[in-house]
Amino acid sequence: MTQQQALASAFPGAKITRQAVFLTPAQIAAAKKDSGVDVRDGLVVRYAAMNGNALAGYAYFDTHPVRALQETVMVVVTPDAKVDRVEILSFDEPPDYFPKPRWLQQFRGRALDDQLSLKGAIHPISGASLTGRALVNASRKILAIHRAIGTK
Amino acid sequence: MLKRITGTLFVLLTAFPLFAQDATTATDIERRLRELEQRVAAMQAAQPSADLVEVKRQIEVLAAEVEALKTRQTETVATADTQQYGLGAAASKVYRAGEGLSFGGYGEFLYQNVEGAGVDRADFLRAILYTGYKFNDRVIFNSEVEYEHANTERNGEVEVEFGYLDFMVRPEMNVRAGLVLMPVGLLNEQHEPTSFLSSRRNTVESRILPTTWSELGAGVFGDVGPVTYRAYVTTALDSAAFTATGIRGGRQMGSNAKANDLAAVARADWHPMEGTLVGGSIYSGNSAQERNTYEGRVTLAEAHADAKLRGLQLRALVARGSVGDAAAINARNALTGTASVGKSFGGWYVEGGYDILTHFARRDMSLTPYARYEKLDTQRSVPTGFLRNRANNQTITTIGFAFKPISQTVVKVDYQNVDNEAGTGINQWNVALGYIF
Repeated sequence: MTQQQALASAFPGAKITRQAVFLTPAQIAAAKKDSGVDVRDGLVVRYAAMNGNALAGYAYFDTHPVRALQETVMVVVTPDAKVDRVEILSFDEPPDYFPKPRWLQQFRGRALDDQLSLKGAIHPISGASLTGRALVNASRKILAIHRAIGTK
Repeated sequence: MLKRITGTLFVLLTAFPLFAQDATTATDIERRLRELEQRVAAMQAAQPSADLVEVKRQIEVLAAEVEALKTRQTETVATADTQQYGLGAAASKVYRAGEGLSFGGYGEFLYQNVEGAGVDRADFLRAILYTGYKFNDRVIFNSEVEYEHANTERNGEVEVEFGYLDFMVRPEMNVRAGLVLMPVGLLNEQHEPTSFLSSRRNTVESRILPTTWSELGAGVFGDVGPVTYRAYVTTALDSAAFTATGIRGGRQMGSNAKANDLAAVARADWHPMEGTLVGGSIYSGNSAQERNTYEGRVTLAEAHADAKLRGLQLRALVARGSVGDAAAINARNALTGTASVGKSFGGWYVEGGYDILTHFARRDMSLTPYARYEKLDTQRSVPTGFLRNRANNQTITTIGFAFKPISQTVVKVDYQNVDNEAGTGINQWNVALGYIF
């Protein structure tokens, strides 16, 4: 799935604006603390979607390793800072490690709290624990960055 | 803002008449206000310098390039005006085609301390290297090469644990062919040390189901709603190496395998919710391979359940098997008395653990005390004229803990109480170290 297709499917008909945000050291530290994940992103690009004058949400893209290889995901964040959806745009590991759509549904509506965890409301993927961990960590990181930079 | 400044100045100059009268006349005040308005107008009309515009443009270009690199888009569109980004500008951004080599692995170290006169042992039990190659989105190769016991000059082994091609047709039905892991039980296909709790694999899935078990064959697999399935036709077990302790020796593992007898194996799992599965499998095939005087049909059936929810891990399995023409196999293998192949065999286990750090630590680290109870007998019945060895009727209780400093590594410590009908069981302590990447 291309970035264009992903954005179009996340925000059909919306006006989408690209925002490049340079994180301050304080914002990076806050995101790292809130997420519990190593955050090194000095530059974050996100896409803000507007339906008329109403904010529809934000889309963030993140690339990270699963096992030995990488995946790229889109995390859509609602205006009230919860995960709306997680889409896998590319996945280089074998298909056996690819999560099923139903598993990804567990992220919908999750906020940045202890429930967004494989020990909480996100149940592990049987036989693909590393995929589950990678996606949980990516979602936590993006919500923490979103919290750190706020909305504008 | 400017209006506010102007208004403030006006208020200041008019609200303090003494100051105004002392310093200026009314004409002076009007002149000053006009000058101020002109300066405000000039400020409103001011444009940032050309250098500043260029710097901003270059920052945007670099930001776009960095974004493309981070998200692995092969083609980037560097546009200065951020308002032009989004749907239109991203049209030519295509994510990297998912092709190429993949790599992974896992391993286990095991220390066993046996009670009594037995020999304690430390072993680099297995080191596995996984290699896969994605030819395209529809044709994928997967393999694992296993090194057991570290050194081939000291009873170590090197083997291809599995190696097969997947032909992805559609989610409901795909094709797999090659050296496949038999889809039986909970461990045979998923036996990385971080995926099970105990230092040693459970005995039921070693003696009754001969994990790790692979055979050459082909079949189909897929998902149908909440149900996953696999069904293969493979080379069958070879009864030439069956013993009283089970059918494990009959695995052919793709090594110049005898193919006179083929077998069918099928499995289905229902996933009522994420992290939970309930399923079963059945295997059936003759095991004579080189002989026509008997068939030696082996039938294995098992049912299993597995759940991982909020730090709780529960697992249970029951398996039964039978070997046809057991007396003929005994004759072929020169087995007599209590050394008979089991005509029927079976076992079951239940296992539970709870990560006590679920509520005290975030995410990766876990400490899971666990317990397992298993019963098995590789000679539930033997052919007429042979005797059961009561030592093969075992009850094993395992208690221990698994500590994962991160989810990819595990340290396990447990104690196994081994009872058997003959009263000759030997208890032991185990310590294991495992990793996966």
